[in-house]
Amino acid sequence: MAPSVAPVPMTLPLSVIGPVDLGRIIREVETIDNEQLQTAIRKEADAKIAKTSKLLDDLLQDNHLDLTNKDQRAQLKQFLKVVNDQAPTLHISFSADPSPLFLEKLITWLRTEIHPVVLLTVGLQPSIGAGCLVRTTNKYFDFTLRENFSKKGDILMAKLREVVTA
Amino acid sequence: MTIWWLYLILGLLAAVGIAFVWLIVRIGNAGAPKGRNVIDSFEEAADKDVEHIFNEDFREELRNRGRLHFEKIIGENAMFLQQDLRLTTSQLNEYMKTEIASKLKDEFAKYEESIMDAKQMAIESIQKTNAAIDEQRQLLGVQVQQEIVAEKKQMVIRFEQNMTDIINHYVLAAIGNQIDLNDQLEYILADLNTNKQAIIEDITNGA
Repeated sequence: MAPSVAPVPMTLPLSVIGPVDLGRIIREVETIDNEQLQTAIRKEADAKIAKTSKLLDDLLQDNHLDLTNKDQRAQLKQFLKVVNDQAPTLHISFSADPSPLFLEKLITWLRTEIHPVVLLTVGLQPSIGAGCLVRTTNKYFDFTLRENFSKKGDILMAKLREVVTA
Repeated sequence: MTIWWLYLILGLLAAVGIAFVWLIVRIGNAGAPKGRNVIDSFEEAADKDVEHIFNEDFREELRNRGRLHFEKIIGENAMFLQQDLRLTTSQLNEYMKTEIASKLKDEFAKYEESIMDAKQMAIESIQKTNAAIDEQRQLLGVQVQQEIVAEKKQMVIRFEQNMTDIINHYVLAAIGNQIDLNDQLEYILADLNTNKQAIIEDITNGA
């Protein structure tokens, strides 16, 4: 059954890369929401919010949200739930651990060209050498150097034959 | 020849003796009517004459002469016999030589012929063997050539099949440590862009 991704009014910050980051934000938001609820139940006038993580800070900043506002908090929770349930996830394997800057550039492109809230899980396969392996829900894309050599093997064989027969 | 002379002489002597005896007997028979005493006297006289002529010395002389003549004849015959024997031996030798040479020649001819036949058979056998070996060698050469060509073809196919892995391994071993992900970003994004539509379709329509 094909997932129906609902239109998302908010955006995910570039620092939120994959489901792990998203889960971390969801747990943090729930914690804050529970704290705010407890504060409201105790009818305390001064409801302070604990220091939030950088991921949540970026999310709030990008979407101009205030966690002290109950509606906005609910909206954020709803958004995070929808993203957690329905956001497409790509799995990309590299030969080495990518740097944060590399991941930021990559996720920027993915959210610009593929989907605004696409999530990315990064794998590590040293045997790849160069390039990457991309796995979507149903497909598998091989962008490795080996595959590139295989595709262009005819050119190499032609060159080899040319050298051998010369 | 000498033995015949001896026989002739002995024969003559015997004839003379017989004639003398016959003469004495006739003479005795002719005077018989005269009386018995005359006959007796003639016989006695004949005996005396015989004894007188053929006395011991004469007989001994005859014996000696006969012995000598016999020895001479024996010697001559022995000499002739020796000569005949030598001649016969010589002829026999020549005959034996000729016969043996002829036989040997025939035998050698047969032997040479059999040797030649055996040689010819051996040559034919060797030629057949050589022909069979040549045929086998050619067949084996063709088979080996075919095997080599097939093996070469198989090696080329295997090389072509594994060429990607070989070159990939070589590139990674050579410059794998120098390949930075940041340098690859442009190419990765280009590949993603190429397959962007397929990714989007899978995301939007995938299960």
